[in-house]
Parts: sequence; structure tokens; C-alpha cells
Amino acid sequence: MKWSQFFNTSIGKKLLVGATGFFLCSFVLVHLAGNLQLLYKDGGKAFNTYAQFMGHNGLIQFLAWGLKIVIVLHAFIALQLTIRNRAARPVKYQVNPGNQTSSWFSRQMAIMGSILLIFIVVHLAQLWAPFHYAEMPTQSYEGVSEPIKDLYSVTYALFQNPLWVILYVVGMIALSFHLIHGFKSAFQTFGLNHSKYNGLINFIGLWLFGIAIPVAFAAIPVVIYLNK
Amino acid sequence: MEHYNMNLTLKVWRQKNKNDQGRFETLQAKNISSEMSFLEMFDVVNEELINEGKEPIAFDHDCREGICGMCSMHINGRAHGPWEGTTTCQLHMRAFKDGDTIVVEPWRAGAFPVLKDLTVDRSAFDRIIEAGGYVSVNTGNAQDANNIPVEKHKADLAFAAAACIGCGACVAACKNSSAMLFVSAKVSQLALLPQGHPERRTRALNMVAQMDKEGFGSCTNTGACEAECPKEISLTNIARLNREFINAGFTSEK
Amino acid sequence: MLNAKIPAGPLNTKWENYKGHCKLVNPANKRNLEIIVIGTGLAGASAAASLGELGYKVKAFCFQDSPRRAHSIAAQGGINAAKNYQNDGDSVYRLFYDTVKGGDYRAREANVHRLAEVSGNIIDQCVAQGVPFAREYGGLLSNRSFGGTQVQRTFYAAGQTGQQLLLGAYSALERQVALGNVTMYSRHEMLDIVKIDGKARGIIARDLISGKLERHFGHAVLICSGGYGNVFYLSTNAMGSNVTAAWKATQNGAFFANPCFTQIHPTCIPVSGDHQSKLTLMSESLRNDGRIWVPKKKDDNRKASDIPEDERDYYLERRYPAFGNLVPRDVASRAAKERCDAGYGVGTSKQAVYLDFAAAIERYGTIEASKRQMHGVSKEEIIKLGKEVVAEKYGNLFDMYAKITGENPYETPMRIYPAVHYTMGGLWVDYELQTTVPGLYSLGEANFSDHGANRLGASALMQGLADGYFVIPYTIGNYLADEIRTKAIPTDHPAFAEAESKVRDRIAKLMSIKGTKSVDYFHKKLGKIMWDKCGMARNEQGLKEAIEEIKALRADFYKDVRIPGDANEFNPELEKAGRVADFLELGELMCIDALNRRESCGGHFREESQTEEGEAKRDDENFSYVAAWEYKGPSDYVLHKEELVFEEVKPTQRSYK
Repeated sequence: MKWSQFFNTSIGKKLLVGATGFFLCSFVLVHLAGNLQLLYKDGGKAFNTYAQFMGHNGLIQFLAWGLKIVIVLHAFIALQLTIRNRAARPVKYQVNPGNQTSSWFSRQMAIMGSILLIFIVVHLAQLWAPFHYAEMPTQSYEGVSEPIKDLYSVTYALFQNPLWVILYVVGMIALSFHLIHGFKSAFQTFGLNHSKYNGLINFIGLWLFGIAIPVAFAAIPVVIYLNK
Repeated sequence: MEHYNMNLTLKVWRQKNKNDQGRFETLQAKNISSEMSFLEMFDVVNEELINEGKEPIAFDHDCREGICGMCSMHINGRAHGPWEGTTTCQLHMRAFKDGDTIVVEPWRAGAFPVLKDLTVDRSAFDRIIEAGGYVSVNTGNAQDANNIPVEKHKADLAFAAAACIGCGACVAACKNSSAMLFVSAKVSQLALLPQGHPERRTRALNMVAQMDKEGFGSCTNTGACEAECPKEISLTNIARLNREFINAGFTSEK
Repeated sequence: MLNAKIPAGPLNTKWENYKGHCKLVNPANKRNLEIIVIGTGLAGASAAASLGELGYKVKAFCFQDSPRRAHSIAAQGGINAAKNYQNDGDSVYRLFYDTVKGGDYRAREANVHRLAEVSGNIIDQCVAQGVPFAREYGGLLSNRSFGGTQVQRTFYAAGQTGQQLLLGAYSALERQVALGNVTMYSRHEMLDIVKIDGKARGIIARDLISGKLERHFGHAVLICSGGYGNVFYLSTNAMGSNVTAAWKATQNGAFFANPCFTQIHPTCIPVSGDHQSKLTLMSESLRNDGRIWVPKKKDDNRKASDIPEDERDYYLERRYPAFGNLVPRDVASRAAKERCDAGYGVGTSKQAVYLDFAAAIERYGTIEASKRQMHGVSKEEIIKLGKEVVAEKYGNLFDMYAKITGENPYETPMRIYPAVHYTMGGLWVDYELQTTVPGLYSLGEANFSDHGANRLGASALMQGLADGYFVIPYTIGNYLADEIRTKAIPTDHPAFAEAESKVRDRIAKLMSIKGTKSVDYFHKKLGKIMWDKCGMARNEQGLKEAIEEIKALRADFYKDVRIPGDANEFNPELEKAGRVADFLELGELMCIDALNRRESCGGHFREESQTEEGEAKRDDENFSYVAAWEYKGPSDYVLHKEELVFEEVKPTQRSYK
């Protein structure tokens, strides 16, 4: 089987979704580590220098563009599969089993993924695009040679609006629900289902990616809003 | 066990043939004994329909002891009904009570077109087996059976996978109409046994390709198939199929 | 006198000899020879696959939606083979001997010996296909003893041996389908044989979905359509199991042998009411540990647990101290019937006896406690341990019982009763498995050849696969070698047209009755006549009555059956009607055969022929023959005899006291 055929099979496509999913999971971890600097009460020095570095380092920028491609790929292939899956049952059941036979989370991947995608687009438009392509107030810090863009203050200003806070929290709820199933599901897709490791995989999937990370992300706008 | 009689309302899918649109028909099933099997309840309803000069409900069934895999009803939203690890024919009316309304639908999947009423065409499964669900050994080729020792644990796992009766409940239960549990059961059985090794790569590739061609959906690991499988085939088989497929895809030379 | 064409020479060299001298067909010619296989159970699927592998052009037919659903799939216990892996003294001869004796000396020695010879090859072939037989920790195959044999020769895959063997044969068949050697026709029913110049040359089949009649040519036709136990309506057979293919063969000149030889299996779940559609077998292995009893008092309505030990009658242990609960199937079945008829039956229907595991649970519990070095354990704990052991051995059967009856067999004894399970009779075939019609063969349960008057446990699977994998590939060549000059006959030949119009008329006749009663109504009535008068015990008066009753029922059927729907569509009622019409003829023949055989042998018990203790009494002097019946028309049969010659085994009276 040629590569083109292999990755066009249902399993091949799922492998791509799983692989891109894993990559996105790793990104989420790194992104959270950076973003938590928003909560430092240092006038944004740590966060803004971090943002400055990330925004101008060649390798990071290369990865950042890769990331966007991966997101598009992940969403696109998942969409392809979803369309195919819907088409596989042209006449629907009148009665469905609900949660009797499968978890609610596992059935909402496409919905949660779509909410996440909308969130990501809004998020990029609000913070990433202005940072890269628009004028932004700058700030000077001790030990930093020249003034740098003050993304920190822009972010704080953004989260003074409760509607944006709610949107970000909703986005993180979608992330949580998406990963509660997605993380362990990707392992199954890669064939990793083993009684010795399933406990660990399920634990990390639920508590780290499903709960801790989304909660920590969501905490940032909430804390900023409450501290205004 | 106390026995009781009940009156039920059935909402059953009626469809004249492949090309008919189909619709639900509401029927009354009276004086149904709790000792009847679900299909015997249908026998009673059909007898009544025949006596009234109407057409009985067509449904697939044969052995009525849970092994042939022919019976296939989606009952109140559940493939093979509410009991776990049970085929429709082994489901008994004790599962219901007087006054219940029961909705009975055929397996729903594009790859399983409805032929009439509750009868569907599952020949797609045969074609998947044709694509590689066998060991290529002609009659008479075999060596002495005990020349092939098999680790007991693996033999037991292979048996558990081979218990699949090909009823299609996995497809019916899956929100994507995926046939992965069925395919993985056969691939696993033969991947676990040394007899299946010479063909394991082509088997995994060809069976998955055929599965896709038949129009089944893909697996999103919801686990509904495992929950509804009357033979309780494990999801670990799907993981094994994925491993077999990855290994084959990355290492096959053609 | 019928000629079975048994090869000359000593018994143990006959098959070798035959194989060495039979005619062969060269590969180029095989491609031009077409073979039709009816039925895809163990016999049909294995035959179709093997013949496809040899290069013949095969067409296989089954009425189910897939060849994998044939009723061989439901066999539970196992498959015998003379491998002697357990070093316990088994051999081809012993398997042969046990089978002939078990069949109460009414089977053909040469066929049975061949069966025993190829039994080992079957296991080899199945293992090579990936059939997951039970194994020991060392990785080698496990065996158990089954059906009271003294050696462990039964190979098994939990309680699903038939399923695993059938799926093995099915996979071999599907492989040939993929290679283009076999064309599979699922949801097709054979409705007639086409004969040209006295030879079987094809069939008329109905596509069950479209209702269209099809003509198919074949240089030979193989009937592998299983048994006819459903003539009793209630049996352990699948709902669709039928005699139609074999009966059409009979109507076209193939003789039907020993139709009255029916196996009634002692351990089935009893009938629960008029709604009952089929009976479920509880594996014979349960009798290894369960004790069978009824109350000593007539019409005792107490619960089983309320009946004290000394008021229970363990009648098998009482009557047969040597074999106890492990007496052969026919003996155990008759004993249960005797108790129930005498008024000692249990349950609401009073047509059941208890199969009790309490003693086994306690025994296993005690053993387990001492294994685990537990001392001074309470009775409750012992019972808990015992239940665990029993669950491990029979858990799936207990679960099935609980699902069907709603009772917990760990707490209350199972209720069981005998039920029709297998038919030893079938199309008469010679040594080559050819019927009396040239080119028409019969394999597996559909033929009569190997089990005599009673089949031993784990022997049906063996016979089906032996016929399909290892016998027919040789014997059919011997016939087809002379057919290589016969070109495929176009299906517009007048014989095809005539056969098709016969089938069309038959269907039209059924559809035109438009009576008032369903097909099942007649089937149930027939079943009751057969069960009451041609079941576990038969007598002259009852059989004569049955014959008249069946004739009357048949007449009524053709006057008053109602088949809804249309002939040109998927119509399960029409399918059933055709099958019941054939059962209505076969049932009569079974009674005629039972009436003719004024002896008791195996599963056939004539009340007139019993010992003083009420055991079956054979009459070798007058009945050591195969009764092969020629069909001359409805109710018109001519008896042909095949003398049974026993060169190796000396017939003796069976005793289990």
C-alpha cells in the first residue's frame, strides 16, 4: 500500500488526526506555561519579554506556522471523517441509546472541536494578529535593551469585558471535553491499549489534559477580570 | 421466578423492499407471557397479522440460541435490546412490563441496506472476510496439529476474538456505523496465532481497504460496539487491528 | 438389494486402496467441470472450499444471509479424533468400534472406519486454518472425554466448537470465493433437481429476496443441507433447518434411508408454553457433574429445595448403577420420559426432571478448600467456593439457562427434558457418498451413513468435515473423470424448463390456497403428532394412527393454509410453507419406516421390542439392514434393503447396568 493510499484509509486518516492531536496537546502544555506568566504581578515584564522572544525567534516562528497548519490539518481531516461517518448512516434511528452505551464526551468530539476552532480563530484575531501585524503600545523594562510590545496590558484590557471572559471560559470547557476523550482515544488509535498502561493514560487524559490544563487556562481571564 | 402476562405497544419499522421509503407502524401485542423470547413475541404478533389477512413483519432469525448471528433488531435504541451480552433471540420478555411501548428498528447503516421491514443485507461482512479473513491453507496441506504450539494465553485471546458471530450489532450501535470491531475480531484472531502470521500484513491492509470500500464509517473509540456486542468482543482488538495496520502500512513493500 | 460399492479387502485398507485406484481428473479438465453445493454448514462449506481449491467451478447455495450462519454453528461440545494425544489407548480402531457400537450396529462398517481414519486430518486442517481449539499451558491441544467414552479424544473450543469449526470452513470458502473458484449464492433456496438422461445436472433455485426462479447447471450436485429434526416443530435445530433439498432429491429418485432414526437429546431446557418456537440444548457435559432426579411422590408440588434427600428418586443412578447419570443419550431420554409419563415430572408443565448441581458444588467446594489449605470452614464458605468452580466449568451454560428461564441454576436445580436434536437418517449414499441418482451426492447430516441408529457426542462435526474435506474430493473425481466430455449444458435445455415450471406450479398452488390458517399452525400440529407417536417411544398402533393423521393434516394444509404476500418478493411465509409441505410428506415416511422396523435400536424404541426391564431390544436376525425408501408418489414408497455386514465388530446387546 502506497503512502497516499495508506493515509487515505479510515485508519490512516485517524492516525493523522491522532498524531496532530498529540502535537496540539504538547503545544497546549507549552502555551499554558507561557501564559501563566500573565498572572505575575510584575507589570508584565516576564510575559512581555517571553512574548517578544517567542514572536521573533526563527525556530519558534517556524513551529508556530507549523502549528497553524497542524490545526487546520487536524480539523480538516476530522471534518472529512465526520462527513463520511454521518454519510455511513443515511437513515437515522428514531431512538438512540444516549449514554447507555458510550460516554457523552466521546460523542461530542466534532461539536467541541468546532467550538474550539471558533475560539482559536477569535483568539488569534484578538491577540496574535495585532501583536504581529498591528501597532501596539510598547513598554520599557529594566535590563531590556529597547521598548517591547505590551501584550500584557492589551490582554488585561481585553478581559475587562465579561463577554470575552465568558467566551474564553467556554473555549476552555470545549478544550476540556475534547481532551477528556481525545487524549486516550489517540492512544487507542495508535494501538496502545494495554492493561498495564491504560490506568496512567486515562489518568493523564482526564486529570491533566481534561481538567488541570483547561482550568488553569480558564483561570487566567477569570483572575484578571476579578482583580480589575 | 414469577411469570406474568403483559400488553405492549410496538412501533415497528415497515418497509416493503429496498426501494420503499418505509415508515413506523404501531401494533398491539396482547397477552404476552414474560416467559417468551423477544422473537416469540414477534411470532405471536405475526400470527395475529396473518389471521387478520395482513402481511407479517419480516425479520432475520435462525438458530434462536444466540450463536448464528442472524437476528438483528434495534430495540428501544439498543442493538439487540436492553440486556448486555445477549442477542435478540435470547432477550426474554421479562425485560419488559405491562403497558410498555417498544420501538423496533432495523440495523441502520448505509452498508447494511434494508431488504424488508427489519431484515437487512449484511453481505458486506462476507466481502470483508473474502479480502483476507482466512489462512491460505488448502485442504490436505496441514502438518500435525500439535506441531504448532500456541501460548495458552494467546490461544485464549484468539478464541475470545473468534467468538464474533458477525451479527453486525457493532455497526448498528456505532454512531459512525463503523465495522472496526468486526474487522478487528478476525484480524486479531489470526494475528494472535502463528498460523496467521505469514499473511498478517496483507490481511490487515486488505480487510481495512474493503471495510472502507463498503461504506462503513471510521472508529471514534466511543466504545458503543463493545457495550452492545452480544459476544462481548473487547475494544483491545481494535487497538490490535490499528497496530497490525500501522505495522503493515509502514513496512509493506508494495 | 442395494450395492454400496464398498471396496474389497480388509477393512483398514479399503480407503487407502480406494484412493490409490480411483480415477483422477486432470487440472485442465477440472476448470470445465461445474459442481453445485447445497448448504454451507460443515459439510457443504468444507466441500465447496476443497473442490474450489482443486480447481473445479463451484456454485454454493444457502438460504441464510451468509454461509457462516449454517446451523453447524450451534454445536457445543466438541469433535472427536483418534489422535491419541493423551496416550490413553485411543486408536483409529477404537474410534471406529465406539462409533459402530454407539450406533447400535446399524451403521456401515466401511464408512465408519474411513471416518475414523481421516478424523486426525480434520484436526490438523482446522488448526492450520486458525481454529482456536482449547489448549494446555504447554501450548498443545487439550482434550476431554465426552459422551461417556473411556478415552479423551474430544477436541473443543469452550462450548462453541461448532462455531469455530464452521468459521474455519467458512473462511476457507470465502477465500475460494475471492479467488473466483466458488460463486456464493446466499439467500437462495434450492427447490428442485434437474435430471438429464438419468443424471443430476443442475438445480432450480429461488432467490429469496426477489422471489425469482433461477436455473443452475452442474456436472454434479451435492446435497449438504443438514438434518430434518424440524419435522417435530420443536427441536434444537435452527428455525430454518429443513428437509426440502433432501426431499427434492428423494422425489427425483434418490432413496431416503432410515428416516425414523432420530436422536432425542436428554438435556434440553423444557417447553415453557404454547408460544415455544425452539428448544435449547444444555451441553451433555453437564451430566458429568449434575445428578438427575424427580420426587418419589407423584404430583409433588413442593419446591425442589423443600424436598428432602430421602424423598428424591435419582432414577438413572437407581436403574443404571454402572453408568448412572452418564448413560448414552437415548437411554437417558427414555428414562426421563418414563418418569414424567408416570406422573413424577416437575415444574408447571410436569414435563421436566431436575438436573441438580448441589452435590457437585459441595464436592468441588470441599476439594477447593483443602487445595487452599483452609480448615474448619463453614458450609456456606464451601458452597461459595464450589459455586466458583462450577461457574468456571459451566458458567456460559448456566448463564444461558438463567437468561431463558429466569431461574438461577446455582440455587435451584435446572429443569431439563429431552428434545429432538439430530437425525441419523437421511439420503442413502454408497461408499462414495453418491445417492441412487448418478451425479447426486449427499454429505454430512443430510446423508445416513455413519451414525447408525444413534450418534455419539462429538461425532457429527467429525462426519460433516470428513465428508467435505477428505472424502468427496476423492470420490467425486471418480465420477467426474467420465464426465470430462460433457460440455456445460445450457439452461434453456427442456429439462431445466420443465423443472422450473414444476417449481413455479408448486409455488402458485401454495399461493392460491388462500386459506385461513398460518403455516406455523400446520407445522405445530405435525410436530405434535410426530412427537407423540413417532418420538421417544413408538408402537404399531400409534404409528398407524400417525400416518392417517398426517395424511389428513396434509390434505387440510393444501386446502386451508394462508400465505400472505406475493411469490415475487421476499416472503418468509412462502419459504416456510414450502418446507412444511415437504415435512408433511417426510413425517409420514418416518412413521412408515418406524412401523416397518419392528425392533428397538439406538434412538428408535419400539415398545413391542423391549427386554423385561424395559430396555431396548434389537433384532439382528430380521433388521440388520438399512431401510432405503424409494419415492413413488405421495404416500407411496418402496422399501429397498442394504444388508449390513459386520466383519470386524460383533453386534452385542448394549447394557449400562
